[in-house]
Amino acid sequence: MEIQCFRIHDKLVEFSWPPLISEEILHELDLVSQYLLKTYGEGIKEIRKGYHSLSLRLHIGISEEDCRDLIKEFKTLQKSSIALSKKTWQLPVAYGGDFGRDLAQLAKIHKMSQEEIVERHVSGHYIVHFYGFLPGFMYLGGLDPSLFTPRKSKPDRLMSKGSVAIGGHQTGIYPMESPGGWYAIGKCPIPLFDITSDPPVQIQVGDCVRFVSIDVDSFKAIQELSELGNYHLQHD
Amino acid sequence: MIKIPSYIHFIKPGLMTSIQDLGRFDLAQYGVPYSGAMDRYSLAQVNFILSNPKGAAVLEMSNLGPEMVFERQTRIVFAGAEADLVLNDKKNIKNGQVIDIQEEDRLKVGKFRKGQWLYMGIQGGFETEEVAGSKSWYPEITPRNRIHKNDSICYLSEEERFYPPVDSQAKVRSDWYRTSQIAAYPGPEWSILPKLLQNRILKKAFTLSDLVNRMAYQLNEEIANELPSILTAPVYPGTVQLTPSGKLLLLMRDAQVTGGYPRILQIDNVSLNVLSQKRPGEKIKFSIL
Repeated sequence: MEIQCFRIHDKLVEFSWPPLISEEILHELDLVSQYLLKTYGEGIKEIRKGYHSLSLRLHIGISEEDCRDLIKEFKTLQKSSIALSKKTWQLPVAYGGDFGRDLAQLAKIHKMSQEEIVERHVSGHYIVHFYGFLPGFMYLGGLDPSLFTPRKSKPDRLMSKGSVAIGGHQTGIYPMESPGGWYAIGKCPIPLFDITSDPPVQIQVGDCVRFVSIDVDSFKAIQELSELGNYHLQHD
Repeated sequence: MIKIPSYIHFIKPGLMTSIQDLGRFDLAQYGVPYSGAMDRYSLAQVNFILSNPKGAAVLEMSNLGPEMVFERQTRIVFAGAEADLVLNDKKNIKNGQVIDIQEEDRLKVGKFRKGQWLYMGIQGGFETEEVAGSKSWYPEITPRNRIHKNDSICYLSEEERFYPPVDSQAKVRSDWYRTSQIAAYPGPEWSILPKLLQNRILKKAFTLSDLVNRMAYQLNEEIANELPSILTAPVYPGTVQLTPSGKLLLLMRDAQVTGGYPRILQIDNVSLNVLSQKRPGEKIKFSIL
């Protein structure tokens, strides 16, 4: 795939792939960042990713020519060298009612029943592309296009912790309280970000996420277990 | 040397008082902002004058300032904004001056005359919780994200002193942030701006709006544009975003790690310190590096 390079200054360079939310690009970004760390580890301050971009902060300045050389090196990388230990995580979600105050409105927008929205949401196979927006907020690819919904024109003042929401072409979980312009359809009872753990998240970039619909009683039970530290996220 | 854990008690918290150091750089991959002092130059100044480690934790304050009482002796230094500082009844405390603090001394940070952020360094730095390599406060990362009334923060009081008494004042001037020129590199989406808009952005004097906080500074003047939104991509402190409604958002130290608005400029590090000290209503002009 075509890779472009934009050198903001000699120590900050962004490589970009075609502007798509795609699994193939996710894997290429993964491959490239592993290669960079392995080959130039000491010169690298930080690698930061978006859906189709990889931003490189460096300790040592590099030239435009160095950047072009890097792209050539990226192109020689073999896809087979990806370490494939990707997991699929099951996240319990209580949908609708007090847990997802916008589900009814979303159903109306899409002229579907609430059950149908939930059905389509739990059928999805979502891939974690990167973390951003808030500590522990996963950018997920894979939302059913029939659920694409323009963001609210005026963001809500408060999305509660654990809110599962849909906005634009994306779905996500608010790991902490925050203002937000997405439609809240449910809530996940398990905290996804814990600063006292290392790393603070269990779900890694490249892993898969599936949502499992649960009822009020299960929500409360899981929440209690989780607060006691007795609930562990499940994965395949 | 005997060091005794001691506390500063806050009688009045001030509006945006927090502990900051150079920031937290290892958790950005999980969505955690860098944080750190808004004006790193002033942070470096107070620590240098006190012979502290370069990145020792300092107290960051904005208008309205706090009022505090020190439990035991120490030394402090101010830099950054110029504010009315009153120690017990003594006025006329200047930035850069090493101030000997005695038991039960009471310090009041009054009106800010110039600049947006004031820094108080303390001998040895503040002894607050270190989380993921940094003491910088940020919601949900550190136990506290700003000082509240009756809060206390810890420092180490040194009973014995082996250095000479203070008789001089370091030259700390605040005219370094008087310039309205903000130097910036073209951002990844600069080139998709029509030439006309590029020129307007570089010729115009922009005014800081009232929306000024640790995450971002917003400008009053709008640049009508038809740029498309971008797929969410990396942003940093100093990234200038142009929103569809024409607003310019200047991302600051608590900036999110990714964003979906076109990134038209990336402010240079030195200029980012200058910018941080600008107040609502003040003018800035961008120049391209």
